[in-house]
Amino acid sequence: MHTLFAPKHGVELWLYIAGSLVIGAGLLLLLCQTPQRLRKPVIAFVTFLGGLYFTLEFLIPHDNYFTHVMPEVVNAEIVVSCFTLFIGIYNLFGVHGRAIRRKQPGWYNSVAFFAAFFLIASAGFIKDMRPDSAATPLFEILFNGFMNSLQSTTFSLIAFYIVSAAYRAFRIRNSESVLMMITAMIIMLGLVPLGSALTSFIPANSFFSFLRLEKLSYFILLLPNMAVQRAIAFGVGVGSMAMGLRIWLSLERGSFFDEEL
Amino acid sequence: MESTTSYANTVIYIIEGLLVAFILINILKARGGKRLFIRRIQGLNYIDDAVGRATEMGKPIAFSPGIGGLSILTLQALSVLTHVVRKAARYGTRVIACVCDAMIYTIADEMCKDAYEAENASEFFNGNDIRFLSDSQFSYASAFVGMLHRERPAAVFLFGHYAAESLILAENGQAVGGIQIAGTPDTTQVPFFLATCDYTIIGDEYYAAGAYLSKEPTLLGSLVGQDYGKIVLIITIIIGIAAATCTALAPGSTAAQWLSTHFLEYFK
Repeated sequence: MHTLFAPKHGVELWLYIAGSLVIGAGLLLLLCQTPQRLRKPVIAFVTFLGGLYFTLEFLIPHDNYFTHVMPEVVNAEIVVSCFTLFIGIYNLFGVHGRAIRRKQPGWYNSVAFFAAFFLIASAGFIKDMRPDSAATPLFEILFNGFMNSLQSTTFSLIAFYIVSAAYRAFRIRNSESVLMMITAMIIMLGLVPLGSALTSFIPANSFFSFLRLEKLSYFILLLPNMAVQRAIAFGVGVGSMAMGLRIWLSLERGSFFDEEL
Repeated sequence: MESTTSYANTVIYIIEGLLVAFILINILKARGGKRLFIRRIQGLNYIDDAVGRATEMGKPIAFSPGIGGLSILTLQALSVLTHVVRKAARYGTRVIACVCDAMIYTIADEMCKDAYEAENASEFFNGNDIRFLSDSQFSYASAFVGMLHRERPAAVFLFGHYAAESLILAENGQAVGGIQIAGTPDTTQVPFFLATCDYTIIGDEYYAAGAYLSKEPTLLGSLVGQDYGKIVLIITIIIGIAAATCTALAPGSTAAQWLSTHFLEYFK
């Protein structure tokens, strides 16, 4: 197994790539030619094998064979997901190409998409092939100068959205929102120096010290909040496991399979 | 090579075995015709209302399955997407689904195509309405927000895994006046959705969506099995609390030693 997946170089590498593509395309073609009623059991069987690998890797005690081949399995998963990236790009080209062809409102944004796509892709490929070329600083400008800055700008918008969301959340409409408002006030004040200053007149070692805002805030975060978070986590964990089991055993209905296998 | 995840211990064998058994037994019971009760989940009831609203207004529906990759969480979001598409296909309403992962795009595309076919409405399916925007978190958020402002959907569904971009998406959904239904098991994003969306599905309700919407016996049986599993977990927690308290309060006592040997030891 390790020999098969060991790094290859030169002609051997190209032969492996060509061989993998031929075998992959052949299998895909075979699956496409398979009648619908046979295709589903085949997919169910492959899904079962995939799930069985990860289940056994987890359940069999330490240092089992499945753990040793984990890098190869993970790499295979990455390769499959890389193929789907081409389909994603194809979709982007389709949507933006149509916008330009039909001169839809904002079609110039689609032109910007194509320009940015080809520019950053070319700079990236040339940078990898010739690291000392002008493409390296160009890629740095495009990625760190444009891409990262634009992402940070979008992220910073959250600050403004939090204000409007908080306004709506803290509007007092019923008893629950009053409770939420009071809790939020205690938490917020307890986490800033002003909050501590407001209740600093309560001696830190007195019986009533639990009324100090920083202590109340800590109590709410650590006990009621944590208990609820863990309760949700347990529910989510069980739900996630049940769905995983249904998909593994191809029992999922309604969306992924419309009829019994 | 060491696994990235830890291995199972004795307690995991027992609890997971019980959970699997409960789920499978209840699935078999449900398939055998046993009627199972499922409580009302308000947010999920309003999914159909939101689709109806979009149809009446003649506006599209926007759907985001989150920024997660191929995982159980995203597959559940796609399951809700299928339900929404099937409902919308009956009335010829457009559903614009924007995905953040190329692999999810291929699955979403196929599922939507199948959903339109299932409703005999293949003529309404438009491949360009299932869009791969970007696999980068904030690029996806920007593109989704742009789509919201251009298309001005009457209903916005935000299901799946979200991080910091959740508020950006939901606030802009509010800004365009769409009825918003969000569902996520991510506890850190739930407060943002509660503040900005009309209905929010949280925690394990998220995983109940498939069963609730489709009323499929297999899914309903699984849901009941999960509840039995939760009972097992609650009992384990109670025994654990008793064991830990006993060990802390009276470390040398016979009860503490017994609990430590027969219970806490198996968690290691």
